Amino acid sequence: MTNVLELKNVTMQFGGVVALNDVSLSVKKGEILALIGPNGAGKTTVFNVITGVYTPTAGQILLGNGVSLVGKKKWQITEQGVARTFQNVRLFGEMTALENVITAGDVRSKSGFVGSLFGLPRSRREERLNKDRALELLKFMGIEESAHKLGKNLPYGDQRRLEIARALGTQPQLLLLDEPAAGFNPSEKVALGNTIKNIRDAGYTVLLIEHDMSLIMGISDRVIVLDFGMKIADDSPANVQNDPRVIEAYLGVPADAS
Amino acid sequence: MAFNLRDRGADIWDRAPRSGRIAIALSAMLFAICLPFLGGTFLNTPISSYEAVLVYPVGLFVLMALGLNIVVGKSGLLDLGYVAFFAIGAYTMAILGTHTGLNFWEILPIGIGLAMLSGVILGLPTLRLRGDYLAIVTLGFGEIVRIVALNTMSIGGPNGIANIPNPPKFLSLEYTLQNQKAYYWTVLFLIFLVIWMVRRLSTRRPGRAWESIRQDEDVADLMGVKTLKYKIWAFAIGAAIGGAGGVVFAAKSMFVAPEMFTLNTSILILACVVFGGMGNIWGVITGAVILSYLPERIRFISDARLLIFGLTLVVMMNLRADGILPRKKRERSFHS
Repeated sequence: MTNVLELKNVTMQFGGVVALNDVSLSVKKGEILALIGPNGAGKTTVFNVITGVYTPTAGQILLGNGVSLVGKKKWQITEQGVARTFQNVRLFGEMTALENVITAGDVRSKSGFVGSLFGLPRSRREERLNKDRALELLKFMGIEESAHKLGKNLPYGDQRRLEIARALGTQPQLLLLDEPAAGFNPSEKVALGNTIKNIRDAGYTVLLIEHDMSLIMGISDRVIVLDFGMKIADDSPANVQNDPRVIEAYLGVPADAS
Repeated sequence: MAFNLRDRGADIWDRAPRSGRIAIALSAMLFAICLPFLGGTFLNTPISSYEAVLVYPVGLFVLMALGLNIVVGKSGLLDLGYVAFFAIGAYTMAILGTHTGLNFWEILPIGIGLAMLSGVILGLPTLRLRGDYLAIVTLGFGEIVRIVALNTMSIGGPNGIANIPNPPKFLSLEYTLQNQKAYYWTVLFLIFLVIWMVRRLSTRRPGRAWESIRQDEDVADLMGVKTLKYKIWAFAIGAAIGGAGGVVFAAKSMFVAPEMFTLNTSILILACVVFGGMGNIWGVITGAVILSYLPERIRFISDARLLIFGLTLVVMMNLRADGILPRKKRERSFHS
């Protein structure tokens, strides 16, 4: 299988703190890859170096087609086909759900100021196409009834779903989900798991940070475990679950073992 | 709040058929066009000439408030030096009008272009800053422009530039000191143009980009919005509108001097935007009309008028912190 994204020996330091220590990983096309680890392990930092929020101190981040993401601007990385959601929901609260998704879709539009001002044919066509696509995504996420509600007024669960719809609005190849099930009840988690599988089946590749083990074990094709900024496991869900180093990272070393 | 003026207005507009909307828009435009003829009514301003007041401050403040609204209201970039663009437009008219054979109509696009260019030049380095820092840098820029004008003797220094030619006749409109209507209609035309432009851009890609930048710039960036580009566009368009106002102002008053372009003016234009309702053009227009017209209307109480003006501001901002006609999009159910 081909890679969609590859991190090679990525290190991210903040002063004396090493948030990521020589992390290498690859995301394969069409898989659901889970990134897990205890709090502070560096999971969100991985997302932040991929999306250009931080520039890694060392290492390479390459897309499947060989394009390097290091040093690229955030919007350029999005344009290259990487989209994300946020651990704490960060919608455009004063925009409607539909506008949230359309705004993300604009990255694929070519028309700019002049076209918008004079309503040139290409601009009108893109506006219409963009809107149709956004409506479809809202439908896909099951929140089309709320299309004209303001982002901040949506119920919490719908806000999380809208964030995913917005990320998909940029037409990514790789979708980064940062704890999409946070705050969900068990039945919502099951529904979300199915949605993520549907997203994968629709042709996207998903890299996901999640704490809920049953969700991860249920949907992931592969699991990577981070601890203190280092990769300690990279295997199938079943194998990772029984990996002593992973158990150690989560539960600590048994007292009699040391 | 029981009665919501904005929502009531928006309701009427939303329910009206296309013909109704055209009728509303046309009658509003007609009313604005006819305003100079209403000098005999209670609208008349004591002491200052009513028709002149309609041009400056009222008309030009509405124009500039609309321009600043794109920067502050739409994109959330606090610009405290907006008067600089007005000054650049005015000085362009003054210098070219007195030194070259160019007339008002030829200078207008040059003034707009120069103001726009200065907006881009100011924006490129400073728009990487945010919030308070941007406010301070723009404040500095406003002062720099004024102080440069004050200290450059070749453009009159503190004495400014006098004898700026009036615009030549346009169709049968005579631009003279006695005929302020001509200037008013010119400003009004520019206002209509800006309203059309803002309405167009607001519902399309640039408007969404500005809106997303205002709400969460980091997220906008991550969603693929070219934030720097759109911020510079906002600055440039705002500057162009300020510049256009400046050109008209110089041609109308026939005289410019540095003390006309102080920080006070920047603050006052900003007050119009905030008072009326940031981000909502109808609110901004209302705010600018009230704040520019009121001091002239109550001029008869001479000394107390600024006190009353200030009191009005304080009371209003307490009652309606979001302005007279605040920005707030109404929600619709899906099938409406």
